[in-house]
Amino acid sequence: MAKTDLKFGKKLKKYGAIDFNACYNCGTCTAVCDLANKDVSFPRNMVRASVLGTSEDVKSSLKPWLCYYCGECTTFCPQEAKPGELMMSLRRYLTSRYDWTGLSGVFYRNTVAYIIGFLLIIAGVLGLYFSNIFDQEEMMHYGHYFEMFAIAGVFAFILLPNIIRMWKYTVWDTVKFFNIKVYFGSLKELLVHMFTQKRTLSCGTERENKVWWIQHLVLVIGYMSLLVITVFLDWFSTDYMVVNLAGYLVSFFIFAITFLFIIKRVKKKDEKTTFSHPSDWFFVIWLFFMGFSAFLVRIFVDLDILENNFWMYLFHIIILVQWALIIVPFGKWTHFLYRSFAMYFDDIVTKANK
Amino acid sequence: MHTAKEKLFYDAVVVGGGIAGVEAAINIGNNNLKVLLIEKDLTLGGKMILLSKVFPTLDCGACITTPKLSEVARHPNVTIFTYSEVKNINKQDKNYFKINVTKKARYVEESNCTGCQLCEDACPVVVPDQYQYGMVGRKAAYIPFNIASPRIASIDIDSCTLCGACEKACPTSCIDFTQKDEDYEVVAKTVVMATGFELFNPNKIPRLSFESKNVITSMEMERLLAPTRPYNHVIRPSDGKAPDRLAYVLCTGSRDLTVGNPMCSQICCMYSIKQAQLLMGALPMADVTIYYIDIRSFGKGFEEFYEQAKGMGVNFVKGKIGKITENEEGNLILRYEDINTGKLKEVEHDLVVLSVGALAHQEPACLFPEGEWKKDIYNFAYQKDLFYTPSLSSIEGVFLAGTTSGPMDIPDAILSAGAASMEAIRYLKQASLEL
Repeated sequence: MAKTDLKFGKKLKKYGAIDFNACYNCGTCTAVCDLANKDVSFPRNMVRASVLGTSEDVKSSLKPWLCYYCGECTTFCPQEAKPGELMMSLRRYLTSRYDWTGLSGVFYRNTVAYIIGFLLIIAGVLGLYFSNIFDQEEMMHYGHYFEMFAIAGVFAFILLPNIIRMWKYTVWDTVKFFNIKVYFGSLKELLVHMFTQKRTLSCGTERENKVWWIQHLVLVIGYMSLLVITVFLDWFSTDYMVVNLAGYLVSFFIFAITFLFIIKRVKKKDEKTTFSHPSDWFFVIWLFFMGFSAFLVRIFVDLDILENNFWMYLFHIIILVQWALIIVPFGKWTHFLYRSFAMYFDDIVTKANK
Repeated sequence: MHTAKEKLFYDAVVVGGGIAGVEAAINIGNNNLKVLLIEKDLTLGGKMILLSKVFPTLDCGACITTPKLSEVARHPNVTIFTYSEVKNINKQDKNYFKINVTKKARYVEESNCTGCQLCEDACPVVVPDQYQYGMVGRKAAYIPFNIASPRIASIDIDSCTLCGACEKACPTSCIDFTQKDEDYEVVAKTVVMATGFELFNPNKIPRLSFESKNVITSMEMERLLAPTRPYNHVIRPSDGKAPDRLAYVLCTGSRDLTVGNPMCSQICCMYSIKQAQLLMGALPMADVTIYYIDIRSFGKGFEEFYEQAKGMGVNFVKGKIGKITENEEGNLILRYEDINTGKLKEVEHDLVVLSVGALAHQEPACLFPEGEWKKDIYNFAYQKDLFYTPSLSSIEGVFLAGTTSGPMDIPDAILSAGAASMEAIRYLKQASLEL
């Protein structure tokens, strides 16, 4: 017997869902979806589950992650129930269900929490600077250490447990299946989707979607490269010409593409960018500032004016800490992991069912 | 070049000669009031005369329409203008309307034509027949179809080559190429609007591939099944093969906000079920599948009719067709979600019928001075007081008959015409208006 959560619909509205109660179950959304197939069909059944409030069905489903939001379901929905936006909201909802700390949910539901978090970090960083415990050089030195520890810590204590929870809900609780061979064999899916997002290519018929895929891919690669260049190759203090130039290049890609994405969200020309949740705005804007401020910091270093303009580095480190402690573990960043793990888990579930 | 305007006086003018307009004209005429019935087409009968059978009784549509048409044609109190266009309707003061009408030239003397069709035989020009939705040809000198009323010829001057063959063939010498459009100024005390509805044009939904030859509208299927059908068999357009696997796509252009029509058209479920039953007879070996969101069999005898179709072997599948693609053989692949199983399916059919919905006719609003004719949110006529009578429009003295005020089936349209004519008669008597 399915349990019904009568307040589920109201909850989802806080995650950005709109109008999904208008659905009259015609299945047009599923029929026009290029990613739905004979074995896995969505989004209509997800809309149905949301209307009925069978939140456990949603919790154990990977379908929201299988949707790459071309928006055609929303375009063609005869009831204007916006199934595409519901799928987006379900991804936010699932992110908060996977998160053992519960902070994702708090941030997603209350923009105020985000802002308080951001302000606390600003206060912390500036407090640390103005208390004169560290001089500028030490500040940059420990800033660099922070990056390493933040990455390791967030991954070990937040993201890894959350992925295990995701696995429990979607694989273990549904098919109770464990087979090393299969788990190892399916790893290919994880890597391929993590580094190519190739599903986007078959999502939607509009040429725009292909362009979007290229931009997104460049952004992902740029982001990961910047991570390597700043954290492991220590871009801000490196003397290697190649590393330095590569740093400029990837940070430029990041802020240029995020700038495009921000413009798209402002213009609202396609379904994907029409409904922006605060978390979407924070994600693109912070990523933009990350790239842009890193770019400027290194210019300041090269021009030898950073010492007198240390505010630039402070700005960069504030953005970075906010990014690493709020947006990465509890915000939209996680879609990078959940999307690729969903493909991995889905492959395992399919094999288990066979 | 128009001849001088002739002035005519009537108690009532009925705009539209479909089943509702004809019914209203007969009712008003029966009460010793003078009626002018104006029809823009060459024949009376509107959409109903084109139908095969009617639901849920499976009575022959033509056999119900034609007696009414001959009744109105013979009625001493009813004058009929066919192939005539109402230009505008102006309320002059509280008591009467001034209506400008153009009677378009048929190039045939109406009173002399015997309907012998010798002109049709003689005419060398063949063009697509609009009454058969282009499935067959007709001549430039033609009678719309056998049961047309009036059953007289007219010449499609746009296609005519002026060869004069018809003139020579006509035994009563009634063909007159010098005929001109005639303008009339009609003064009437009341107006009944029976302008009907328009069918949804499926080209507005490119996903349904209406440009494919084997995707047709329900009205085209209606013609394939009607007594005045173009062929003697149900065949598919691309290669003339008798179809084996037919699909009905319900709610094409109805209940669909993406095309701006959120309303249920009320007739599509039932006419599709009716056609499916007729197809079971016409093509005994064929599979007929009806894809639906909900089957709305709400009227008297409708549910039984639906059950009867199921009993006859019509497949009913819950799920709206999202995409239709044509393959090399001209067959169609229909993509939909089977709602009962939640599975996405792709099924091949060799003929697809789009059950098109009923939309408001755009014309009435253009006939009245700006702002006088009010519409509801669906663009149908605004009904002033639904709980008093459904027949009142936004203009005093103008009454609503049939689908002018919303989609409805034939019995309801006749009922509505009855109500409208009753209101019109009451209005005339009560005011005892004198011109």
